[in-house]
Amino acid sequence: MTLLVHLFGKLANAAALLLAVLVLNFCLIHTAPGDPVQVIAGEMGGASAEVIASLRAKYGLDHSLIEQLFTYLHNVLRGDFGYSYYFNQPVLGLIAQRLPATLYLALASVVMAVVIGTLLGVASARRPNGLFSHAVTVVSLAGYAAPVFWTGLLLLLLFGSVWPILPVNGMSDVVHPKQGIAHLLDVLKHLILPSATLAMVFVAQYSRLARVNMIDVLSADYVRTARAKGLPESVVIFKHALRNALIPIVTVVGLQFGNLFAGAVLVETVYSWPGMGRLVYDSILRRDYPTLMAVLFFSAVLVIAANIITDLVYRLIDPRIRAGAR
Amino acid sequence: MSTLESPLAVAESENAKSAAGPSRSASVAELPVAKAVSPTRAALRQFGKSPSGVAGAILLVLLVAATIFGPFIYHVDPLEIVGMPFAPPDADALLGTDYLGRDVLSGLIHGGRATLTVGAVAALITIVIGVSVGALAGFFGGWMDSLLVKITEFFQVLPPLLFAMVLVTLFGAKLSTITLAIGVVSWPSAARLTRAEFMRLRDLDFIKASRAAGAGSWHLILRVALPNALPPIIVSATLAIGVAILFEGGLSFLGLGDPNTMSWGLMIGQNRNYVLDAWWAVTFPGAAIFLAVLAVSLVGDGINDAVNPRLRRR
Amino acid sequence: MPVLAVENLSVGMTGRSGGLVPVLENLSFTLDKGKTIALVGESGCGKSMTALAIMGLLAEGFVVTGGRILLDGEDLLTARPKRLRSLRGDAMSMVFQEPMTALNPLYTVGDQIAEVLYYHRRLSRKDAAEQAVEFLKAVQIPAAAQRAKAYPHQMSGGMRQRVMIAMALACKPKLLIADEPTTALDVTVQAQIFDLLAKLQDETETAIVLITHDLGAVAELADDIAVLYAGRCIETGPAKELAASPRHPYTSGLLGCVPHLTVGVAKPAQWHDLGEIPGMVPSLGQRGPDCAFLARCANATDVCRSRPQPPLGAIAPGHTVSCWRAQEIAA
Repeated sequence: MTLLVHLFGKLANAAALLLAVLVLNFCLIHTAPGDPVQVIAGEMGGASAEVIASLRAKYGLDHSLIEQLFTYLHNVLRGDFGYSYYFNQPVLGLIAQRLPATLYLALASVVMAVVIGTLLGVASARRPNGLFSHAVTVVSLAGYAAPVFWTGLLLLLLFGSVWPILPVNGMSDVVHPKQGIAHLLDVLKHLILPSATLAMVFVAQYSRLARVNMIDVLSADYVRTARAKGLPESVVIFKHALRNALIPIVTVVGLQFGNLFAGAVLVETVYSWPGMGRLVYDSILRRDYPTLMAVLFFSAVLVIAANIITDLVYRLIDPRIRAGAR
Repeated sequence: MSTLESPLAVAESENAKSAAGPSRSASVAELPVAKAVSPTRAALRQFGKSPSGVAGAILLVLLVAATIFGPFIYHVDPLEIVGMPFAPPDADALLGTDYLGRDVLSGLIHGGRATLTVGAVAALITIVIGVSVGALAGFFGGWMDSLLVKITEFFQVLPPLLFAMVLVTLFGAKLSTITLAIGVVSWPSAARLTRAEFMRLRDLDFIKASRAAGAGSWHLILRVALPNALPPIIVSATLAIGVAILFEGGLSFLGLGDPNTMSWGLMIGQNRNYVLDAWWAVTFPGAAIFLAVLAVSLVGDGINDAVNPRLRRR
Repeated sequence: MPVLAVENLSVGMTGRSGGLVPVLENLSFTLDKGKTIALVGESGCGKSMTALAIMGLLAEGFVVTGGRILLDGEDLLTARPKRLRSLRGDAMSMVFQEPMTALNPLYTVGDQIAEVLYYHRRLSRKDAAEQAVEFLKAVQIPAAAQRAKAYPHQMSGGMRQRVMIAMALACKPKLLIADEPTTALDVTVQAQIFDLLAKLQDETETAIVLITHDLGAVAELADDIAVLYAGRCIETGPAKELAASPRHPYTSGLLGCVPHLTVGVAKPAQWHDLGEIPGMVPSLGQRGPDCAFLARCANATDVCRSRPQPPLGAIAPGHTVSCWRAQEIAA
């Protein structure tokens, strides 16, 4: 019951935030240099005089700004995020087509990053001054400092020409299309490089975080209790220590989702992964503003959704929160 | 006023007030005010003991020196076409040429100026906004805190790089716009950090004592709380430089670099499609970004270890 | 054969320069089935180190530098890690000082008790959970079946300490080490916990090492007392005798620090009403061969200053003391 009330509050907050994002979008269109109608039509859209006239009417550009805002919000609420003159179709449809691919990439990366990062952190926390621990620190620093698009290009170079064992382009084999399970495996194979590239940045951060937290937790009283109980070391580490160390990691994973999404955009353009990233890249090239604005809005939707999921996972792990302490 | 400008406006008004702050509270200046707990010198000495921190500092100095003095030693215009496109590294062009036949080494030297400047200025903007918002929220609490936390939360919902990308697309790919955009989208984490620090400090005895002795809020914020909150802020400022450099690269990579100013990001962005033909045109600028971010991260870690004794053992 | 025999146990801490700083020197005592020995002293005197050394749980940087620890005749210091692990929680167990942090916040208390039975007794998860409820009843927790499903943060400090005791006694250990089990608790709860320990000890015949800084509080519960100061044992003896006629000035001081009403014995005439013992325990690494208590001792003479600390010497049957002036003080 308390959980339902809590969730309801979260959703109300989410709605308010998204409304604010729309208002921001509206403000951006109107503060950008040039005529708003040009922005809406897209500079390179080659909009004709008739199109421009109809846009003026649709968005009420002759009315006051407040009225225009309400017109804009009204359109959005009906699912009308504008029309991409470059792609020649409604923006919402474009996003809907591209979203799944981006989600696959982002989720694969986040799972990979959390699992590998945590394991590295746990392993290096056992001997904080050992050789392995130092190696993890170095790798994590390097992973953090390397621009994701650059590592992407280097891996593309490596697997594209030097050692061609993995596909470096697209989401599936278009020359020899496959069906069923074979298709699924083909997609997974195409997913390896993009998701590994993206995961690298986050493996770096999570391994570092996991290491610090594990060192902290391993010196906690309850871990000593677990050892005093004569539990096997694996139980001490994975049941008693790791679950406690995971709490701050879950928080950071939630906070990092925006960066994950932005990273996905960069990685997608490297490997021509057919998600929102390619869409963003093309929209920038064509100055397709409605599409860009919609991408910004939907990325906010994803971030908020990720935050709510994080909150639920957090509750699942920590009974102190579950009991409604907050 | 647009939502975009509001955080800047907050920062500006805060600066204006802060300039007036010390003079207004001059009468209480002689109060026994607690000094920063760890003196700069002790922190510097501690920093000197961190091999990785010192290595980072040396690397950073080398990079900055190369971009400052490089043009006096290596006289090649980065935008001038000096040879065939995609000429591999040889005696003529030490690091090869790019897709237009421009010298990559010269691009690195001149591009470094732009990239490092963008990094430093954007980080400064990030910290000024973030610290202002965080300090006000953390120190005053109440409705001010609620409001500023809401604003911060709003900015955190937008993926920073995508937001910066939209701003640059709308307002034009100029170096100044890019710098401003990076600063405007990156401040929330600095704000959260500063807020937490100020909330902690607000309840400490020496702040309470100053307050009881009649010190004004601005005096307390700028002269008492801020110096004590400085160590983590310095660390986050250092890290913000790295983030800003990565963002400049990311924006350029998406085609949002300033085409009239050579930068490391721009070099990668313009040559990315030819990576299989000329690896050097992409690899070297990327390595430069990597080294710069690595250097500031190492320095940041070194400072963190120096000012944060609890973590020193790690 | 005693359940536990500690022979000349020494523990050192690796210092910054790499050398070993002694933390505990030459501690010896034995403990029989069903008996209780209290290790008494101020914080930093080495009593907790002794407990952790017996359990084989010394923190990184601390090493046993000499001596033997025999549990039922088996030397724990030479035992393999695997053997030690199977003894911990089974043949010997420990209750810690801080019930607030000693339990894992993420698991129910029932689960944390059942875990011991699951790994040591190989009970099924279900049987272990049922047993856990029985143990919660044994430590007098009301509505045990529901409380087993509670998380530590939902319980009071006293309740959590009962849980810790239930957990420690789940496998009916031969030896229970209780490290300041009541320090973090209210005074009324302290008495309850001590009563509970005494009652359970009667039922299980577990030998108890009770660690405390509060000599008065344990005078009744303990059979023997060993007083530690700066890593050295300075006085041992039967609890009643030691409380009635302490011979070492430090022991007298410890008793003097205790409000007399809580001590279960009449106030002996020779107690110095110190109120507190002036000065501080010498810090690690600054302990020479001299009597460690010298600087704080009101009875110190040139005799004491001219010689190193004496070994423990018998002053009455079973009562030993390490003081040059023990005979004079007794007189």
